[in-house]
Amino acid sequence: MNREGAETYLRLLAEAMMRGSLAPAQGPPWAQGPGGGRARVTAAGQALTAVGAVHIETVEDILADFDLAVNVRQLHEQASRRAAGSMPPAGAAGAGPGAAGAGAAPPGTVPAGTLPPGTLPPGTLPPGTLPAGTLPPGAVPAAAARWTARIQSGPLPRAGRLARTWPAEGGGSPESDPEPPGPGAADRFIPVGLSVPFHDEGISGELYLISFAQTGSGARFIAAWGNRTLPPQHRMGLQYPDLTLGLYTVTDDRGARYDLALTPGSGPEWISEIRLRPAPPDDIRWLDIAAPLGPAVRVALDLQVQGAEPEVTEAKLSPGEHLLIMLADRLLTVAPEAGPAWRRQLPVMSPGLIQAMTAGLGDIVAGLEAADVLSPLSPVPARLAALCASLGIGGHGITAVPADDLPERWLSLLAHYQRRKPDMTQVRDGYAAVAAALPGLDGIRLALLGLDNTEGSSSLHVLATGMTAEGHPGPLGVDLDFPLSLWLRDSGGRWHAARTAGWHRAGGERVLRLKLVPPLPRSTAWIEVLAGGRSAEVRTRLPLRWGYPT
Amino acid sequence: MTDVPNDPWFGCLAPCQAHVPCGQGRHIVRWEAGALRLLSHPDPGAELVLAALGGEKARCVEVAQAWGRHAEDLSVLAIGPRGPADEIALSWDDVDAAAQASGRGPVPSGPVPPGPPRAAPMRLASPSVPTSARVQAQRQRVEQEMARTTQRRNDMLSLLALGYGFQVRLIGQVAEAYASPPDEALEKVRPPVVAAISARLAPVAEEWIGIDPDQVVVSLHRGPGWGSVELPGHGEQRRLLVSLPAGWLGRVWAAGLALAGRHLVVAVQRAGWPDARVLALRAPGTEPVPLDVHASQEGPVSGGLDVRFGARDAPHWEM
Repeated sequence: MNREGAETYLRLLAEAMMRGSLAPAQGPPWAQGPGGGRARVTAAGQALTAVGAVHIETVEDILADFDLAVNVRQLHEQASRRAAGSMPPAGAAGAGPGAAGAGAAPPGTVPAGTLPPGTLPPGTLPPGTLPAGTLPPGAVPAAAARWTARIQSGPLPRAGRLARTWPAEGGGSPESDPEPPGPGAADRFIPVGLSVPFHDEGISGELYLISFAQTGSGARFIAAWGNRTLPPQHRMGLQYPDLTLGLYTVTDDRGARYDLALTPGSGPEWISEIRLRPAPPDDIRWLDIAAPLGPAVRVALDLQVQGAEPEVTEAKLSPGEHLLIMLADRLLTVAPEAGPAWRRQLPVMSPGLIQAMTAGLGDIVAGLEAADVLSPLSPVPARLAALCASLGIGGHGITAVPADDLPERWLSLLAHYQRRKPDMTQVRDGYAAVAAALPGLDGIRLALLGLDNTEGSSSLHVLATGMTAEGHPGPLGVDLDFPLSLWLRDSGGRWHAARTAGWHRAGGERVLRLKLVPPLPRSTAWIEVLAGGRSAEVRTRLPLRWGYPT
Repeated sequence: MTDVPNDPWFGCLAPCQAHVPCGQGRHIVRWEAGALRLLSHPDPGAELVLAALGGEKARCVEVAQAWGRHAEDLSVLAIGPRGPADEIALSWDDVDAAAQASGRGPVPSGPVPPGPPRAAPMRLASPSVPTSARVQAQRQRVEQEMARTTQRRNDMLSLLALGYGFQVRLIGQVAEAYASPPDEALEKVRPPVVAAISARLAPVAEEWIGIDPDQVVVSLHRGPGWGSVELPGHGEQRRLLVSLPAGWLGRVWAAGLALAGRHLVVAVQRAGWPDARVLALRAPGTEPVPLDVHASQEGPVSGGLDVRFGARDAPHWEM
C-alpha cells in the first residue's frame, strides 16, 4: 500500500479544486453545487481512509485547510463583489450569516438563521466584552456578519467525523466489537416458524417465533408480534406488547424455567429479539413456551438445519476493488429510498442527489490507484462506469471504458428498475423461518436469523460478530461497519441487494436488519445467499418456511 | 541556488512592512532579512513578561508570536496564496470579527500549542478502557482540539491580514524549514510539499508554455542539482514532469522569480535584491541557462497608514 501516494493524491485533488476556484469560468468550489469541490475531496478522503491508506486525522487536516483556504478567498470575493455593487452589504437585510448569495453558503458553514442557541447574531456583541485596543463592535458589523457564520460552524470534533480503517485485514481490528464469550463452535441456529397465541386484558394475538439462536453471548428468539386486538397505544406503535412477556412460561426438557426479555427491533416491523435468561445449556433438546391461558408450544432445538453446506470461493479482491463493489451495491440500493417517481427520472437526471453521490467516483478510483490498492488493470472501475451508464448517471469522472460484463446480480436489479411498473406488486406480510451460520468472511461471522415481508418491504435479520465498533458513513454513504456485499437470489431467479437498515448490540454481537432491494415476492420458496468479502465469497441455499400470523 | 545552497533563502526578497492596529494606534510590523521586526516594540520579550503578569499583550507581539508558531506549519502552504492572481486580502476588521465570533477575543493568546498538527506521529487505536473514562477522555480531546483549531485559525487570519508580501515570505520560510528533511520524515513531508509546489508551479507553467495546469506533475527533487523539467506525451496525454527541491518555493517563487523573461526559473545562482543571477529554462527538456535579472518594482517598503504590501506590489523581474 502506498500511503504517501494516497496522501499526495488527496492533497493534489484539493489543490485542483482550489485551482478551479481561481478560474472565473468554473466558479468557486463552494458554488459548484452538489458534488462540488469539498464533496469530492471528502469522498476521496473517506475512501482512502476506508482502505487504510490515509489516516483519518490527515484527511481531517486536509479538509480543515481546504475549508479555511476557501473561506478566506470567499471573503475576498464577497468584498470585491460588494465593492463592485453586485451584492448587498453583509449587514443588509437578507444578507445574514452565510448569505453569500443564493446557495452560496460555503461548505461547513451555518446558513442564515441557524446559529446555535446561545450564540450572538452579528453586530450584537455585548458591551464590555472587547479587550482594549480592539475596534468597537459598531465598527465591524459587516466583517462580523461574514465571519460569524464561518466561525460558529467551528471545527468539527475529530472523533466520529470520518471512517476508520475498513475492512479489517484478516480479522477483527482493534476497534472491533468485543468477542462474545465462548467459542463459536457451540453456536446453534434453528429455524422455528411457530406461533404462540396470547390473550391478556384486551391484548390478543400471537407471538410468532421465527428462529432461535444460541451463541456464547446467550440465547434468543427472533420473533414477530402478530395481533388481533390491541389497545390504541399498541396499534400506534407507541408501546410494544411486551407486557405479556412476563406471563409466558418457558421450560426446557429438564424442567428448568427461563424468563424472557425483549429487545425491540430497529425497524417499523414488530420484529424483536427475545432473550432467554438465564441462557440455557447448549445441549437441551427442546423448549416449551406457553402464554397465559394458552397451550404450550414446543420448539425443537435438536433439528438438523436444512439446506446445503455453504460453498466458499476464494475471491482475492484488492481493498480498492472491494470498496468499489460496495459503492456499486450502494448505488443499486439507493434508488428506492427516493421512491418510484425519482427512479423514473433516473435516466434523465443530472443534478441533485445522484450527482452528489457519484461526482466523486472518478476521484475515488484514481485515489485508490494512487494508493496501490486498486490495480489499473482491475475490471471493477469499468463495471462501475457501466453501472452508472445503465442508471443514466453522468459526470461520475470514471475514465475507464464502461464494461459489458456486469455481474448477473447487478443486471437483475437494473432490469427490475427498468420495468415500467416495478412497484405494483403488493407483497403480503409474512415471516420466513430460516436460520444458518455462514463461514467467517474478513473477520466477520454472520448467522441468518429470518426474513420478513412487512408493509411492502423485505428485511433479512442477521446476527454478526466481529464487526467494527465505530459506525460512520463511508464514501457516498457506504456502511463501513458492515463491509460485506450481501445479496439474495430468490427461487424465481431474481436478485435482491441487502443493505443495513438498523442494528442493535447484543453482547459482543450485533443483530442487524438488512433491507432487501427489491422486496422478496411472496412466492419465494428458497433463497440463495451470496455474501462477498475481500478474501472470499460464500454461497448457501436455504429453504424458506413462511408463516403469516394474523 | 547552487548545488548546495549556503546563502540565505531570502536573498532575493526585499523588506516589506504592514501596519497593524495595536493598542490605540497602528504600528509598523516589518519583515527584513528573514525576520519579523516590531518597530514600535523595542523589547517584545519584556512585554511578554508583563503580559504573563496580567498586563495587556500588544497585538504586534501576538502577531510575531503567531508568525513563530507557524513558521514550520505546512498548513501555511495549503492556505496561502498560489500566486499574485490569488490575492487573499483580509482586513483586520475581518480578523477581529472572526475572533469575536469564536468567542476568544480579538486575537488568541495563551500557551502555544504543542507544534503543528502535521508534525504529530500517526496515532493508533487506543486499547480498550472503561467506557465512561473513554468518553471523558474523548470529550477532553475534542475540546482541546477545538481550542487548538480556533487558535490556529485566528493565528492564520492574523498572518494573512499582514498582506501578500508577508504571506509569500511565510510560505518561503515554511518551505525552507522542510528543504532538507531527514529520510524518516520524507513520507510525511513530501505530500504537502509536492502539493504546495504543484499549486504554485501549475499557473506559472500555464503562462510559460500554455499547458493545462492539471497536466503538470510535480515531484520533490533531492540531492545535487536543481532538478528536472520534461514534457513527454502529446495532446491530452502530455504531461509537464517537474522535479524541484522544496527550497524552490522560498528562493524562487516567494521572490516572484518563477517566470522571468519567458523563462522558467528553477534556481538562484547569486541571490540579491534588486539584482540577481538565476538559472532558467527556455523550454522543457533544455539545459538551464544563467540569467541576470533585475527587479523593476520594489514594493511599498514604507508608506502611509493605509499602505499594505499587496499582490500588485509583487516584484517584477526582467532580464
